[in-house]
Amino acid sequence: MTIATPDIDTAVSRASNGTAMACLLGAGVGAFAMGAIVLLNETGLFAAPTLYAPAGGVTGRTTLATIVWLVSWGVLHHWWKARGVPPARVYAVTLILVALGVLGTFPPVWGLL
Amino acid sequence: MFTGRSLWTMVHGIGLGGGALMGMAAALFYLYAARVSAGSDSRTASRALARLTVATAAVLWLAVLLGTYIVFPPYRMTPPAGVTDLSQFPRALILANPDTAWLHTFAMESKEHMPWIAAMLTTAVAFISVRAPSRLLGDASLRNMAIGLLAIAFALVAFVSLMGVFVNKVAPLQ
Repeated sequence: MTIATPDIDTAVSRASNGTAMACLLGAGVGAFAMGAIVLLNETGLFAAPTLYAPAGGVTGRTTLATIVWLVSWGVLHHWWKARGVPPARVYAVTLILVALGVLGTFPPVWGLL
Repeated sequence: MFTGRSLWTMVHGIGLGGGALMGMAAALFYLYAARVSAGSDSRTASRALARLTVATAAVLWLAVLLGTYIVFPPYRMTPPAGVTDLSQFPRALILANPDTAWLHTFAMESKEHMPWIAAMLTTAVAFISVRAPSRLLGDASLRNMAIGLLAIAFALVAFVSLMGVFVNKVAPLQ
């Protein structure tokens, strides 16, 4: 007779790992926000207000993305702090968000719009 | 010999940018080595890793903020009408020559935003190393995630640092 045993590694990985997962996914959301805000600016759909005139519009874009990062991290932390979250799924989504965010900040991509 | 603007550029690029790259490289090696030395004293190891990643994230944020708010403004200053010597106006100097215009449209435009993403990713790894140090060293999946995100951050910072070297070579802040 075969007894089904839980995947020990997965069980260990998921045991109340919510704080760490929230932190990682929050960084992915922040990276994506940076790319999205830059793309919106380049297409003329949205321009974040300039916060420090000598440095120009980059101050508004980066501050806004930083706020999105911190707020999303805080919300995810609140939701997940006592929970076990599937790490592989969080990692995959985080990587996709980071890749999209980096692409959005890559100048050659702006020329494709 | 050195102007205030050139000193700030050196602090930003060589001091803080270089320091962040070294810190990330060390943290990556530490995380990788921890994978194969499970028998080591995990408490001492995790404390050292936490210190290293927090210091690296702090140095990287300083580089990002200094670059955006102290170094970038003099770089992008518009020269007054009639000025022919553009050596004090790096962006205008670069854009005046079609052969070097890419240093602004590609290199500097990349440098404006990408380092912020690297700082967010490095901060995430630093936070985990402080809040869940034993889990970071003992949980293979979490450690691999941290290595992956730190490697991306390292690649981004290395790329923008190289772009900064190119820009500073052609149109240094003087």
